[in-house]
Amino acid sequence: MPRPDVTRPILASVGFAALLAFSQGGAAQAAEEGSPAPVVNGAAQVAITLTGEAGGTCALDHAEAKAGPVTFTVTNRTATAITEVELMSGSRILGEKENLAPGLAPVSFTVTLGGGSYEVYCPGAKVETVAFKVNGAVATPTGATAAILAEGTKGYARYVDGMVLAMVTAVDRLKADIDVGDLAKAQAAYARARPFYERIESDVEGFVLPGFKPTDNAGNLDYLIDMRASNLDPAVGWHGFHAIERDLFRDGRITAGTRKLAAGLQSNIARLGKLVPGLTYRPEDLANGAAALLEEVQSGKISGEEEAYSHIDLADFAANVEGARQAFAFLEPGMKKIDPDLTARVDARFAAVDKLLEGYRDPTAIGGYIRYTAAVKAADAVKLSKAIQALQEPLSRIAEKVATAG
Amino acid sequence: MTDETNKTTGARARLSRRGLLIGAAGSAAAAAALPGAARAAGMAPGELNPDLSYPFYGAAGQAGVMTPPQRYVFFMTFDLTTDRRRDLQVLLARWSGAIAQLMKGETIGQVEPSRPDAVGFDTGEALSLGACGLTVTVGLGPRVFTGTYELAERKPALLRALQRLPSDALRPELTGGDLSLQACADDPQVAYHAVRDLARIAKETGAAVTRWTVMGFGRASAGKGQATPRNLLGFKDGTRNIREAGEFDRHVWLNEGPAWQRGGTFQVVRKIQMHIENWDTDRVSDQNAVFGRHKLSGAPLTGKAEFDTPDFAMKKPDGAPVIPDNAHIRLAAHENNGGIKILRRSFNYTDGINQYGLLDAGLLFISYQTDPAHFEALQQKLGAADALNEYIAHIGSGLFFVPPAPREGSYIAEGMFAT
Repeated sequence: MPRPDVTRPILASVGFAALLAFSQGGAAQAAEEGSPAPVVNGAAQVAITLTGEAGGTCALDHAEAKAGPVTFTVTNRTATAITEVELMSGSRILGEKENLAPGLAPVSFTVTLGGGSYEVYCPGAKVETVAFKVNGAVATPTGATAAILAEGTKGYARYVDGMVLAMVTAVDRLKADIDVGDLAKAQAAYARARPFYERIESDVEGFVLPGFKPTDNAGNLDYLIDMRASNLDPAVGWHGFHAIERDLFRDGRITAGTRKLAAGLQSNIARLGKLVPGLTYRPEDLANGAAALLEEVQSGKISGEEEAYSHIDLADFAANVEGARQAFAFLEPGMKKIDPDLTARVDARFAAVDKLLEGYRDPTAIGGYIRYTAAVKAADAVKLSKAIQALQEPLSRIAEKVATAG
Repeated sequence: MTDETNKTTGARARLSRRGLLIGAAGSAAAAAALPGAARAAGMAPGELNPDLSYPFYGAAGQAGVMTPPQRYVFFMTFDLTTDRRRDLQVLLARWSGAIAQLMKGETIGQVEPSRPDAVGFDTGEALSLGACGLTVTVGLGPRVFTGTYELAERKPALLRALQRLPSDALRPELTGGDLSLQACADDPQVAYHAVRDLARIAKETGAAVTRWTVMGFGRASAGKGQATPRNLLGFKDGTRNIREAGEFDRHVWLNEGPAWQRGGTFQVVRKIQMHIENWDTDRVSDQNAVFGRHKLSGAPLTGKAEFDTPDFAMKKPDGAPVIPDNAHIRLAAHENNGGIKILRRSFNYTDGINQYGLLDAGLLFISYQTDPAHFEALQQKLGAADALNEYIAHIGSGLFFVPPAPREGSYIAEGMFAT
């Protein structure tokens, strides 16, 4: 079982005081003070038992262990209020088990612990934290999982930078096609530019131009680039991708106004191109960003609101999902250490969404997917929404895990 | 069975800790002596008792079948999205633990977690509302019992898809499902919260997603000790419903088959749309003839009081039967169906106004029986000839096996996974 980070003690020469208590017998529930957990196959064995007693009880059979590998075996006998157990060091999660419910077989996790004070956290129990002590050499935390996650965020930053660069180029192309007045080419260029924004939308939101108040849409870069007809601010007017979409797809013509819009979009995208490469991300930013992209799918794409004139909503849909998947993929090596079960569930749901989207591919269509017409929406919106919902719930649990990873 | 099934009636209703603390009522013995749990809590009939709660765990049938019908239902079906047996086990176990919490009026976990990046376990909208008599009843659809979950051999002998019945106007999006949840409570928000949070668990475990749902109100079938309620056609519904424990044993609870099925039952659910405006403009004598009862008193057309036994042989001076040949109660009566009885536990529903500007409402018909064929036999007859068919349409349908309640420390249908 992959395990996080606390180093194996180099010296095992200290901390034997606990041996003095070896002879104590034990009541099943109460942790035996001073009696270290027995070692089997090199790992100290600690049983955690959850019961419904006293409004939810989380009991350890041994409250301390010798430094080294420790295996916690969790059995939920009758505790309906407790579904998770975590081993914490300070605010860091070192190991955990979830989906605990009465009747299921016991589950276990193993961590290698150095000497020090730990806590077993049982959210929902009457007393939620139980102290756990490890005797022996104090480990120097290497932060292995945290380091893996941090490495992932750097990789993700490179991905975002790449998307922004490609978006700048794609929007330059769009402007060029609009300037020469080639409607068909401009429509295709529009559809090629959109997915870059949709993949990283959660990272490029929220920029305010210098000299503007945060509440003034005239200085809100996201407003200027991506505003839809449904949320217009009359004081600022319509700018950006979707105003261009209206001209190209609804009106089917390129006017002086369209050229002006394209010039504005080009300059705002260029601004993003300068702002984004300096950004750094925490692991929870990736997780929260992925969740936000899936919210975008639910609120804008499945409703067909995003691309009301071009109907390339499914291309945007795929781009949102791709962006979320990339963020998750960069967390995955760390997540596999923290919670392999949750990681597998999220993986399976991404795969299911991909498989579903595969059925809508059409290489001959603008955007690479069939047009999301009223008829397609009426027939398939529920199916699409359910696949995303099934991904959203497990994905929403990730941010907490990576934010507290040890 | 009798001793055990008795426990699932209102007599098993108990006061929660909160009820005892505020001194709302007398003793548990008093509660056990009266059929109406609200009265047992020292409250006037019809008054809402937020502290009324029923146990989830037990040795007999699940709560929500024999339990006196609460005022509201939130019914939902689910499609399985996993092909892993363990995911189904985890879902049923997580649901069971959560339902046990909810039926006590408690949350299923933190509402506002202390970690800023955590999402709430419980969505919070039922905080401080009390249990309000909540029961959540879990049903298993035919697709649970397939090779995918290594459960093909465990399929209850009588479980299958319902056969196509006369007058069926079923819409695919309101039909079927692999799992069902029937949440009933005296406060609609309590029922809603229960299903909402259980649906989150279904998605979070990767095991299932929502399929179709109906929110119902105004209990439209009487339980023991309850005055007969009315459906949206204005008629009393359930006058001749199953009430006594002995009848439950005969007509509702399974008492043979593998141990994990005993105390189970089959749940039939039908969404029945009513053509309200047409009904409202029908003369009252025709309405009475359609049902075979008087609208106000509920008495059969051959009697004077609601509980008078209908006399299906009685003729008018011109020789025509007093209760017409195609009257609803004649076609549905057990006397005319080889003694078949089913437990009806229906609710009224509304979906607002439909695309034609008509009131979109009807009956969420729920029945429990030892054999789905009993429902089919009755509906075969009703669907073909019932005078009521002019005013209703069966638009949704589902059939589920409802396993018995789990014992504490176990979960719903754990026994079917035994190897």
